Amino acid sequence: MRHRRLRASLAALAMLILVSAGLPAPIDVHAQTQPDIAVIVHPSVTIDNLSLADLRRILTGDREFWAAGSQRVTIFIRAPIARERDAVVRDVCQMTEAQFRQHWIGKVFRAETPSGPKIVYSADSTIEQVSRTPGAIGLVLSPVTAKGVKVLKIDGRAPGQAGYKLR
Amino acid sequence: MSLAGAALLALTPAAASAQETSPPHDQHQSPARDYPSFKLSGFGDVNFARTKRLEGPRNFFEGQLTLHMTSELSPRTTFFGEISFTPRPDAGTGTPAATGFNTEVERMIVRFDHSDQLKVSVGRYHTPINYWNTAFHHGQWLQTSITRPEMTQFGGRLLPVHFVGGLVEGSVPAGGLNVNYKAGVGNGRGSVISRGGDHGDVNSQLAWLVNAFVKPDKLFGLQVGGAVYGDRVTLATSAEFNEHIVSAHAVWQKENPEVVFEYAAVRHRDRQTGAVAWTPAFYIQVAHRLPFNNELWKPYVRFEHIDVNAADAMFAGLPSLDMSTVGLRYDASVFAAVKAEYRTWTRGTGTPRNHGGFFQLCFTF
Repeated sequence: MRHRRLRASLAALAMLILVSAGLPAPIDVHAQTQPDIAVIVHPSVTIDNLSLADLRRILTGDREFWAAGSQRVTIFIRAPIARERDAVVRDVCQMTEAQFRQHWIGKVFRAETPSGPKIVYSADSTIEQVSRTPGAIGLVLSPVTAKGVKVLKIDGRAPGQAGYKLR
Repeated sequence: MSLAGAALLALTPAAASAQETSPPHDQHQSPARDYPSFKLSGFGDVNFARTKRLEGPRNFFEGQLTLHMTSELSPRTTFFGEISFTPRPDAGTGTPAATGFNTEVERMIVRFDHSDQLKVSVGRYHTPINYWNTAFHHGQWLQTSITRPEMTQFGGRLLPVHFVGGLVEGSVPAGGLNVNYKAGVGNGRGSVISRGGDHGDVNSQLAWLVNAFVKPDKLFGLQVGGAVYGDRVTLATSAEFNEHIVSAHAVWQKENPEVVFEYAAVRHRDRQTGAVAWTPAFYIQVAHRLPFNNELWKPYVRFEHIDVNAADAMFAGLPSLDMSTVGLRYDASVFAAVKAEYRTWTRGTGTPRNHGGFFQLCFTF
């Protein structure tokens, strides 16, 4: 009796494995439905649109000011592993996480900029810090409903629009 | 994880990063900054070397301990400082006895940032006449290889590594070309030509430099540029030379592959005899971050050539060089790396070939 149950269990397990092997790969629902990443800035920032190249220059520290004589850019970026950070480090800055860290350590060491990006640990914290810091920029998952920050278009497209490049 | 990797991880403070950590979300922080805002970071390295013929340190030796300071004095004014501690080969000798380490103010810069297009600074710099000198400074961990190329070696005589004076610099988008510039005047070389004029200029003639490079958006990772430098050099013997240096560089800054090429040519005109001599030098370094094992391994090769003009009285005694280097860098943790190199070189025609193995543990903190 015990052997019969064991054989039945093994057969069921084998069937499960065989069926699983024959099935297409599990659909990554998250990948298909992942929201766009919105670029938010303090309301005092006068521009409404950034090119992807300009965003890269800001996130890599090559552009430190919004405009001549205007405010210095303060970057708030999520800690590693957050999707907003992974996406911009990989897709916008075209770096690995290690390269991104080394890039910023070098940037400060070369005296090219006084400080690196400031790390935040949640989307709420990003929005709060950006809303309170003139000249600040941050990245959060879209949609952004909070008041006190402005969502920028990237290459003329807003988050959610077809062709928006940050996700 | 390897034993070396585990040991290095234990050495690496988790907090070391150029990226600042904001307070937890439940802490209410005023966005207003406090000035001055002082931050300290650093670099260090420990080395091991064995060469066929003794040249430089042997077996284990300490590299430099480098401290880097940054302090924002106001929203647009920043102080940058760099101090190094270097072990002396003559420690304990002489009267009074030489100390164990040299302490050197490597950089001391106060800069006012008007905009991306215009930043003005004064102080002591690493002379921006070539790429390596201003890309890696004294941070051995930042550079792929164990040492700097010989043409831009600290304490070397070929290029003036330090510069005391003032700079204007900036960048303009220029339709996606991203043109960066630096222009400055300063003291140039001292009477000992490997040193800058920290205590004042040795003559009334200011050194000057212009540096420009592009970083095009469409080829992100590429940097191409060059510089021109001019000075009048007065040696301790009172001999005077007009010095002009032209340089060019092309760098692919990504790591798959990483390519650094630099060329410099130094022209000296003896003001007494009118004799002119050119000394060219170049190096090329190629590296590639291997795609497996979390991209921790980076092999690299470098070839260097310095052809010192024997007729150049200012470079008397400075040897030429042909050097080949093959090495491997292993990033044992986010902030520490181990490097191993084999080098083979000659210092001019007819000189015996030397070769050796070199190892380095370098880190930032």
